[in-house]
Amino acid sequence: MDVTWYLVVSAAVFSIGMAGVLIRRNPLVILLCIELMLNAANLALIAFSRAHGNQEGQIFALIVMVVAACEVAVGLGLIVAIFRRKLPVDVDELRGLQG
Amino acid sequence: MNAILAATVKTPDIDWGALGPLIALTVGACVVLMTGLLRSPAARTNLVPALATLTLIVAGALAIGQWDSNADVLEEALRMDNLALAMTVLFCFAGVLTVALSLRDLAPRDAGHGEYYALLLVAVMGMVVLASAQNLVTVFLGFEVLSIPLYVLCATHLSSEGSLESGLKYLIIGSVGSACLLYGLALLYGATGATDFDAIAQAVGGGEIRGDVLFLSALALILTGLAFKASVAPFHQWTPDVYEGAPTPVTAFMAVATKAAALAIIVRLFDVAVVGAVDDWAPAMAALAVITMLVGNVGAIGQSSVKRMLAYSSVAQAGYMLVGVIVSTRLGVQALTFYLVAYVLMNMAAFAVIVARERETGLGDDISALRGLGAERPTLAWPITIAMLALAGFPATMGFWGKIYLIDAAVDNGWAWLGVAIVLGSSLSLVYYLRVVAAVWMPSLESSVAVAARPAGARPIMAGASPEADDVADTRAGAVPAGGDTPTASTARGTHEERTDADIGDGRDPSGRDRAADRDHVGRDHRHVHQPEVVLVAVACAAAVLLLGVFPDPLFDVARDVGEAFGNFD
Amino acid sequence: MNIPLSIMLFWPAVLGLLAAVLPRGLARFVELAGAFVPLAYVVVLVLDFDPAGGPQYVTDVPWIPELGVRYSLAIDGLNLWLVVLTTVLFAASALWIAFRPVHHSPRLFAFHFGIAETAVLGALFAQDLALFVLFFDLMLVPIYFLVGQWGEGDRVAATVKLVIYTLVGSLLMLAAAVATGVLVAQANDQPLSFAINDLIGNTLSPTTQNWLFLGFALAFLVKMPAFPFQGWMPDGYRAMPLPVLVFFSGVVSKVAVYGFLRIVLPILPDAALDFQMPLMILGVISILYGSAMAFTQTNTRLILGYSSMAQLGFIIIGIFSLTAEGAQGAILQAVNHGLVVAPVFFIIVLLAERAGGSEDIRDMGGLALRAPVLAGLFLIAAMATLAIPGSANFVGEFLILLGAFKSELVIAALAFVGVAMASVYMLRMFIRTMHNRTGPAVESRELGVRDAMVIVPLVLAILAFGLYPQRALEQSENSARASIRAVQERTGAGTQAAAKPSLTREGRTATASGETHP
Repeated sequence: MDVTWYLVVSAAVFSIGMAGVLIRRNPLVILLCIELMLNAANLALIAFSRAHGNQEGQIFALIVMVVAACEVAVGLGLIVAIFRRKLPVDVDELRGLQG
Repeated sequence: MNAILAATVKTPDIDWGALGPLIALTVGACVVLMTGLLRSPAARTNLVPALATLTLIVAGALAIGQWDSNADVLEEALRMDNLALAMTVLFCFAGVLTVALSLRDLAPRDAGHGEYYALLLVAVMGMVVLASAQNLVTVFLGFEVLSIPLYVLCATHLSSEGSLESGLKYLIIGSVGSACLLYGLALLYGATGATDFDAIAQAVGGGEIRGDVLFLSALALILTGLAFKASVAPFHQWTPDVYEGAPTPVTAFMAVATKAAALAIIVRLFDVAVVGAVDDWAPAMAALAVITMLVGNVGAIGQSSVKRMLAYSSVAQAGYMLVGVIVSTRLGVQALTFYLVAYVLMNMAAFAVIVARERETGLGDDISALRGLGAERPTLAWPITIAMLALAGFPATMGFWGKIYLIDAAVDNGWAWLGVAIVLGSSLSLVYYLRVVAAVWMPSLESSVAVAARPAGARPIMAGASPEADDVADTRAGAVPAGGDTPTASTARGTHEERTDADIGDGRDPSGRDRAADRDHVGRDHRHVHQPEVVLVAVACAAAVLLLGVFPDPLFDVARDVGEAFGNFD
Repeated sequence: MNIPLSIMLFWPAVLGLLAAVLPRGLARFVELAGAFVPLAYVVVLVLDFDPAGGPQYVTDVPWIPELGVRYSLAIDGLNLWLVVLTTVLFAASALWIAFRPVHHSPRLFAFHFGIAETAVLGALFAQDLALFVLFFDLMLVPIYFLVGQWGEGDRVAATVKLVIYTLVGSLLMLAAAVATGVLVAQANDQPLSFAINDLIGNTLSPTTQNWLFLGFALAFLVKMPAFPFQGWMPDGYRAMPLPVLVFFSGVVSKVAVYGFLRIVLPILPDAALDFQMPLMILGVISILYGSAMAFTQTNTRLILGYSSMAQLGFIIIGIFSLTAEGAQGAILQAVNHGLVVAPVFFIIVLLAERAGGSEDIRDMGGLALRAPVLAGLFLIAAMATLAIPGSANFVGEFLILLGAFKSELVIAALAFVGVAMASVYMLRMFIRTMHNRTGPAVESRELGVRDAMVIVPLVLAILAFGLYPQRALEQSENSARASIRAVQERTGAGTQAAAKPSLTREGRTATASGETHP
């Protein structure tokens, strides 16, 4: 199968993720959307890796997975901290810093 | 059995010496984290920062030790050339100053000393990886290892809403940036079939893929991702909010070190890996640079928070520094290196003064906190004056030579109009830099301006003067409301109570908390907080700005050495 | 005799620094020492200077090889007399401050004062374009602080306006200077160098030169100020503390004049020819506008401010007549104007003290009643601006008009109107303040001994310079010719320039100057 189809799927997933980040209010959902973007990149990497016939893309994808996990962990930690402070869990309500 | 062992244990050839700075930082981070678990408060508050400083100094020294060695390490995943080493020293230097600024800050107390300083060291490590990356994989890895600790560091001042908010904002926007970068890197890999910079440069130099849609979108996405990190307009919107909310020492670190790291990787990617396609990306980047100068300088005018003002000014400075990348000559790289060093020193001096005044006045980072500083505190007034004049590019400071060098590089390769753009941007910047100087030395007028700029009852940004600190003060007074609290809130209260107790146990009175009580008359409430290390940072950085402004030769030598690491310009 | 200029250059700054760290009471005396040692230096320089030689007392060492910047100082006929003017005015201001200490922070004042003198001297001495730009921009920093901290009225707004106006010009000059260095180096295929001698005789295309010219000209015209860049001037003049105003109006604006002669004409001759007419027209407008404004103002400071503008318009015409006479006249006139304006500013303060603190001429009048000496001094200074024969202004304006007549008859005729108008507004000011009806709060008093110690020597200097301008003429002649040589080579008018100005005591042929400036 042509690598193009994988790319189309990957681009679609990336766009969905991007749209989610821009549209959704809840930081949890935003984190999910960021995951979508990262995984779209993973799909592209693996597809290219197959297309070029070398492993670099696969190694890259593995590393991305680890990093994505770290990012989500930190994100969730922050959201929990905010929740415990009774701050609104809504990015539009977090506007204390707009000068 | 032995044969199998012998076969599997065949390791790649690793140049451990060249990895020295990275190893030192990693080990240091672990040790600092463990030391932070000690029971003795004295060990936590004193030993941890001392160990962190030691780690940074050792890492910096190891980097200096291998100057000019240009070692490739880990199968060319990293290259410790002079650019990487110079940046390593710069990051370590910024790290040491940040440790000094954080010593008496509330953020490490809130988050735990071990965690705070360990995160700082990891962030420095990520920067070193990023600045020495020779492979798309290490680019992304370094990028994330630098970013993730910074997200947490921004939020370390747990008792301040602003800090948490800035942490979350930075996390979301930073992650979008890194996702864009990653997708771009994936596409670049797809277009060239390699993750190694040299191989990519070869593929790009071949010219077949120059007009390729895949390749061009890869460049666009990579530029976007890195622009987020370097706060290049129009991807800068997070900068003022995050800078304002984060604890000031962390802001200082982000403003200088992160930007330096981002620019280092921009110059590596664009001036080495894809320099063959310079005609494709240079016009776009030039447009970004000009927009950045404009947005940064215009945005900074009229800010009453000095941190926000410096945030916008750092946006503008990123625009100037991009010029060094765009011209894509060795001279450009040298000018960029020179300017980065100047930028770090100038901003560190300014931020140190802000940290000092935040703790002394209770006015937070508002410009009114600097009012009349010239008469009261010359040791703080001169550093901020010199920093502002240097940022504006006045002569006899490093900023002057930095700008001349950048203009020189721009004109030299036919980008004269970018030189003019730098100059016009600097003219705009005078408005807000001179306003700070006027507040410091000529208080009469500024008083009315500052009061008008910040409406009464606005939330002070200063740590400890937030509504939250009220709670803390209440808690300490034993006035916890009996009912009406949700369980979560009680838990939060409980946490604060513990922390407050711990602080008392430390034998140090966190001066910031006290101020919450009398913040009603913060207007001219000057207390002398004993913080020699902050004053020292300010004075030392300002002195360096002046000294290297009059005798800039050593720095020019460093810049030349760094330029020589770019063999592709021969 | 080789006199190290570096000591003279940095002496005021070092003593300023010293004043800042020594006890408060000593500040003004250290400041005095900082200003008088260069004055002593300059006396030696004037006596020792060889009018036939080129640049003298040269200090030339590489400073930043990477950027081709040299620490290169020298004195020649162009800057010698401006250096004299600088040291005289700074010394007078320092003496004034010693007698009338500033209201607060005398140590800081002494510090900025010293830096200011060093910066002005540096800009005059510099033989390297980057060094010139550096000192030219550096002048602003102490002035910003001096006005902002010790000024009067709405001082912060005024000083910010002043600095932004002038620095926008200066920054464009910075870009133009860097571009000049880089482009010349590329054209000549040489390493980057900013030494002015390396930049002369370049082969830049006229279009490039025009762009660079605009950068330089803007900086200089704002600093002067010339029409239409005078927006900062009224507020700035009103806000400046008087000793600062004296050296600002007397010297700092002259550095811009000097910049045209030292840098623009030799390095960008094609552009100078292209822009000759526009700049001469600007000069004429400055004269007419400045004179008209000076005639309508009632604030004495602003009368002087606008009269300075008119004078500088005159000097611009002298420069852009692109003749040796015009250039020489411009230098002479710059020195004259500085010498004249300084005592008048000091006298204004004395008048204001006697008129109930007002600097408005409507509140003055009849001040001469019991103060014949003061009135006499004021009259001499006022007459000196009128270019009556025997005053140095006469010589300067004569040369400028001579140069202008050679190149543009109409402009010269219009400029001549300016001379006539000057007599009107200066005499108006003299009569309204000294004679006329006595003002409401006027109390006529003779000037005190201390004030006399500042003003009398300055007036004597005007007289001396007016009666014996030959030395300055001789010493500036060669350099003035050298400054316009490049332009004249472009027009082929070199032979015409050989005509000597009639007032030079002993003529020197054009070939003599040719030897000194290879």
